[in-house]
Amino acid sequence: MVLQSLCALRAQAGASLSGLPAALEHGGPGAGLVLRSLSTDVFRNLALEDWIHDHVDLRSRGVLLLWRNSAAVVVGRHQNPWRECDLRLMRRSGVPVARRRSGGGAVFHDLGNLNLTFFSSRGGYDRRRNLRVVTGALEALRPGIDVRATDRFDILLDGHYKISGTAAKLGRTVAYHHCTLLCSADRRLLSSLLRPTCPGIHSNATASLPSPVQNLLDNDPSLTPDGILQQLAEQYLTEWGVRGGSVVAVQPDEQSFAGIDRSVSELRSWDWTHGRTPKFSVHTTLELADPTSAEVCTATAHLEVKSGRVESCKLSVPPAWLPRAACADLAASLVGARFCPSEAAAAAAPFLQSEPRDVDLDARLRNLCENIVALM
Amino acid sequence: MAARGLLRCLSSNFSSVLPSIAPSVQHSPRLLTSLSYLHRTLATSSRLSAALKFTDKHEWIRVEDNGLGTVGISNFAQEALGDVVYCGLPEVGAKLEQQDEFGALESVKAASELYSPLTGEVVEINTLLAEKPGLVNKACYTDGWLMKMSIDKPAELDALMDEKAYERYIRSIED
Repeated sequence: MVLQSLCALRAQAGASLSGLPAALEHGGPGAGLVLRSLSTDVFRNLALEDWIHDHVDLRSRGVLLLWRNSAAVVVGRHQNPWRECDLRLMRRSGVPVARRRSGGGAVFHDLGNLNLTFFSSRGGYDRRRNLRVVTGALEALRPGIDVRATDRFDILLDGHYKISGTAAKLGRTVAYHHCTLLCSADRRLLSSLLRPTCPGIHSNATASLPSPVQNLLDNDPSLTPDGILQQLAEQYLTEWGVRGGSVVAVQPDEQSFAGIDRSVSELRSWDWTHGRTPKFSVHTTLELADPTSAEVCTATAHLEVKSGRVESCKLSVPPAWLPRAACADLAASLVGARFCPSEAAAAAAPFLQSEPRDVDLDARLRNLCENIVALM
Repeated sequence: MAARGLLRCLSSNFSSVLPSIAPSVQHSPRLLTSLSYLHRTLATSSRLSAALKFTDKHEWIRVEDNGLGTVGISNFAQEALGDVVYCGLPEVGAKLEQQDEFGALESVKAASELYSPLTGEVVEINTLLAEKPGLVNKACYTDGWLMKMSIDKPAELDALMDEKAYERYIRSIED
């Protein structure tokens, strides 16, 4: 199947040579090309990256893709979103979590953040050179601005504030390096979302290193996002020896990029965003409360989560609070469910609604279940 | 759509990309020292030296006495990657074709895809790497192995490089 569609794409690629815009025809070997995505959907833009990575011949050309997203948190390939961000707040405020295919840590995106993806052959992969394009563009706009790339490929403003973070993916023959550039992002939202809320997670997943951040426009209000974007494009084209190049706007839809819709669905699916989290465990205490008597009690929960699903669940509740068998049954009902509130609640519902119980016992069981679901 | 024609044109040579043997690892001055290290590592164990086969993507495979293949990455590759912080490995039971992606190694914010050297089924993964991904750097030919697989098409082994050919291959990349 995959092979067939690849062949079809190759055939299409070969057949559509004649559609080349005049402005791009003189791009010979060593040429660079700058694209700007017209989409602000994080999943569509990540899918566009994959499309270019998979389908464009990058052996002798570089491509720079510029893109911006509506508010979203983007975690690295091997990260745990429960440990990186406030998923509850994100659900409430409609901010999605996305997982990229590159490494590195969690970042916040919104329209005030510009993303740059540098595509190259694997041999031509050079993050230092790419970051020089970014710092060079900023220096050209504001001579004297203090921007420097660090050993971790961040860009610091005034030697302290992070304005750009980096990640990369290296494939068989091609590679891409992408980085963020904070122009005028909502820093309040950023710091409230990039805050873990699930306590007691044990995991070998890649952890983020929080850094103090700054917006370029807060530092110098006379800069404009469009001005920065234009200068980045010029700097890139100069670096790649292209004269008279321009920024080509692209709409990443199925019509222009065959197969992209499927890739968008895959990146948007829970199985990718959450299910690809490296195996982890949650070991935490729960503060239980009896809604009728105002009594409280401390219990512990120990869950193992694999591929985003509860693999095992152990609840230790004082028997005086709840009978052991009821706790064990509740725990068993959660096994196999996704580690997410709606599914876990749905998985526990049949048990909670089953046999008629004492009203107080029922309230305590529901309270226990709510406490577990709140971890997710 | 202008962009469509443009990207299509860029991909016009796509079909010829696949069979090409392209250098896959970034050049770095540190790599200049890697050849002698590789030689030293291999030379100290004649058993390893005799049995290791390499791919052009810098994975190695060793055929064990029980007929299974142990897979890892070469010293050249681990040096180019830098400190490995996470090993994304396949599930036991996964069926792989030769050159299929089977996982990724993460180092300094970069995820590098891993490609299966042979066709076969994953029978074991190195679970030590979950706690100690750095073993890939410290002992890439021994404790830092990645997975063990069945060898479903033994003929595929013949097309892989032996140690000498791999050394020549690295030299050709570095030149």
